[in-house]
Amino acid sequence: MFEMNAAEPMQVDVPLEDNENNETECYVVENPTLDLETYAASYTGFAKLYRLMFVADHCPSLRLEALKMAISYVMTTYNVSLYQTLHKKLSEAIASAGLPDVAVQMGSQDIPVLDTMWVESKTKKAAIKLEKLDTDLKNYKTNSIKESIRRGHDDLGDHYLDCGDLTSALKCYSRARDYCTSGKHIIMMCLNVVKVSVYLHNWAHVLNYVSKAVGTPDFNEVPGKDSNQSILTRLKCAAGLAELATKKYKSAAKHFLAASIDHCDYPELLSSNNVAVYGGLCALATFDRSELQKQVIVSSSFKLFLELEPQLRDIIFKFYESKYASCLRLLDEIKDNLLLDMYLAPHLNSLYMQIRNRALIQYFSPYLSADMRLMAAAFNRTVNALEDELMQLILDGQIQARIDSHNKILYAKDVDQRSTTFERSLAMGKEYQRRTSMLILRAAMLKNQIHVKNVGRETGPQSGEAPGSSTSLTPRSFDPVPL
Amino acid sequence: MASSLEQFVNNVRTSSASGHFRELVEMIGKSDEVLQRNSAHLSTVLETLDIQQHSLGVLAVLIAKYSVPQGTTEVDKTNMYQKIHEFITNCNGEQVRLAPDLYAELCHQLTEHLIEIKQPIRGIELLKKAIKKIQLFDSQLTSIHSDLCQLCLLSKCMKPALEFLDTDVTGIGSELGGTNDSKHFLLYYYYGGMIYAAMKNYDRALYFFEVVVTVPAMVVSHIMLEAYKKYILTSFILHGKILPLPKYTSQVVCRFLKPLSVAYHELATSQHAAIKHRETFVRDKNMGLVNQVLNSMYKKNIQRLTKTFLTLSLSDVASRVQLSGPAQAESYILNMIEEGEIYAMINQKDGMVVFLDSPEKYASPETLCVLEQQMAACTKLHQYIQEMDEQIQVNPQYVKKSAGSHDEDMPATSQNSKNTYSM
Repeated sequence: MFEMNAAEPMQVDVPLEDNENNETECYVVENPTLDLETYAASYTGFAKLYRLMFVADHCPSLRLEALKMAISYVMTTYNVSLYQTLHKKLSEAIASAGLPDVAVQMGSQDIPVLDTMWVESKTKKAAIKLEKLDTDLKNYKTNSIKESIRRGHDDLGDHYLDCGDLTSALKCYSRARDYCTSGKHIIMMCLNVVKVSVYLHNWAHVLNYVSKAVGTPDFNEVPGKDSNQSILTRLKCAAGLAELATKKYKSAAKHFLAASIDHCDYPELLSSNNVAVYGGLCALATFDRSELQKQVIVSSSFKLFLELEPQLRDIIFKFYESKYASCLRLLDEIKDNLLLDMYLAPHLNSLYMQIRNRALIQYFSPYLSADMRLMAAAFNRTVNALEDELMQLILDGQIQARIDSHNKILYAKDVDQRSTTFERSLAMGKEYQRRTSMLILRAAMLKNQIHVKNVGRETGPQSGEAPGSSTSLTPRSFDPVPL
Repeated sequence: MASSLEQFVNNVRTSSASGHFRELVEMIGKSDEVLQRNSAHLSTVLETLDIQQHSLGVLAVLIAKYSVPQGTTEVDKTNMYQKIHEFITNCNGEQVRLAPDLYAELCHQLTEHLIEIKQPIRGIELLKKAIKKIQLFDSQLTSIHSDLCQLCLLSKCMKPALEFLDTDVTGIGSELGGTNDSKHFLLYYYYGGMIYAAMKNYDRALYFFEVVVTVPAMVVSHIMLEAYKKYILTSFILHGKILPLPKYTSQVVCRFLKPLSVAYHELATSQHAAIKHRETFVRDKNMGLVNQVLNSMYKKNIQRLTKTFLTLSLSDVASRVQLSGPAQAESYILNMIEEGEIYAMINQKDGMVVFLDSPEKYASPETLCVLEQQMAACTKLHQYIQEMDEQIQVNPQYVKKSAGSHDEDMPATSQNSKNTYSM
């Protein structure tokens, strides 16, 4: 307990909240229709590396290509350790997949050799640069020029990020905070911290700094309307990502929907396509019909996002037009590609489930009775499977209906408000009586100092025992004779 | 030796005659040893004292007579029951109320004796009388309550205890609390819960077991552990799941009880736990309750079906509730219909069950009557709480304390407020 409390102020250093336990989900995607080249081109930095690694882990057919792309990218940075791990993975992949067609695809000169020269020179260069930046920072500090110190910290952070030392980068970026002199600087600092925190999967931190940035007093007065918009979009995207990762799909959807297409330039984290998919799916899973119409379908800004993902646009429109069968079929079609998205994959099943349930609820909402055979056809299910699904929804209280299993008809249940009110109030009365008598008994217990203790131990007046509530009057022996 | 005993008798006589009962209680507390040493002469002493006039003295002598002092082996208990019966019926209530701990001690001795000679049923009426004599008001709990419940359980004659169990406790006898251990308090609620469980009043049983588990604790008592096991089982029977313990449960309880009752927790997750941990359940003597749990789980599942289905074939019922076949499902449903737990009809021709809505429309005079009773009970409780609150408001210590902190907050006005209070 105490150790945890001690760690609290240093939260920066603890890579906590491992919400995405990707390691545990060992699924394999067989036939993705993903064009890796264009996919990778829309990201830079760690976003690119992580995404490629994720694809490599989950898709054997794209593994080699992804790893090679990652390696060629990582060689432009100082991230030596990542290069080594990637390299190891690549050689393992080649060794295990000795298939001829793969070899043909690869070409013979592609058998990887660990470029030790590169490793050495890069390590050396990184060390030199680190030293230089460090001395620079020290100089600035002795001269105590705030602006330079801030820049020094930022540069050092950038360098650490380049080397792949995320925690140190985060530390440097956060340290710059003390030297911020204007609102703009604070926002820049927040953006930096948010970026690294996303890489570290520290979602609470992300949300924290997003709100900090938005709450900066002159956030709206930053010169240049455009840059302001683009910062806002970045913050919204990061916040949406954090909400998505913490399973708060509805607020995630709201954040993504607030992004603006013209200013959506955030290759360090996500592409516009991502915003479209994340926002669209979350909205589909959590918004009701009117919300969906108002905020997604007729929204002028998000419409442009949806144009980037025509399949998803079709899905949303089909859903809105109540063509559930084709909507669900389309969803299944894009599932494979979505599973290769590192942020979406862990939540895909629950999102799909919610979309499906929402479709079932909407399908039934106008009916007084519905033929389950037709319903099953509309949802690509057997009648029995549908029956199970409906049963779950009814038990959860999401559909007010009952199933006539004999004739396979779903009947809407007319709820007698009066009876339920009576039922509830009686139950509430019982509960009140139970709790109150428990309270009275407990007050009497505390008054008489009844507690389980070791009899052998000293049994002196234990006024400290009773919790400091108003019932814990000081020990006074009960006078058995009324005066 | 005899002189000190004589002195005791004289003291009892003079104090009783002059009405100095408080001093007498103190004196009796000190003369414990004297009485023990002269155990041979106690019968004679008893004859010289009058039960009505010298109740306290007689009480002390009786306890000394029937308690087994260390070293000696046997005490003549042949006419113990008659003696104590005589005493409890005739003693002066006002006097014995000054020494509730001694009085309770005597009752504990009697209970032990009756259990020893395997005639628990004889003590029930007597203890009821004893409780009523010592109680200041009906809802006061004494440690004799636990003896009564124990005797009722042992003699499998539950009804007499119910009149006490049904009254919600609002006050607690002094001999239960303070520096004494809370054994009798825990036992009362534990036995009470068992009695209710035996009467199939699981609602009350759960309440009683919850009381045991939530008693403030620094260490965990075995009574609490056993109560917690039964709490889990009754919670299953009533709600189909384990209700979380309230927040004020002592931490030590939460920490230790769960690992010690793993078998019970497993009942929630798997149907086979009952077979797997059969030995544990039998050893804990909870097998009967466990069987009730299994039974109620089927019933709970069937009740869930009534919420979702209008019609269902018997074989579907069986497969959804995991019963062995349509015949068993039919018998369960028949029983439940008869007991009013579900509303349904079975069509034997095509083996379908038609589930109906509850016919209760909450429109009958009976319902209104029930509603009014419930409302009256709630109002009464609310009033009682307000009274308690008022008592605290006017409690001198409370006033002093709250005024004291007030002074610290505002030192400037302290002089002023002190003056006000002194007036």
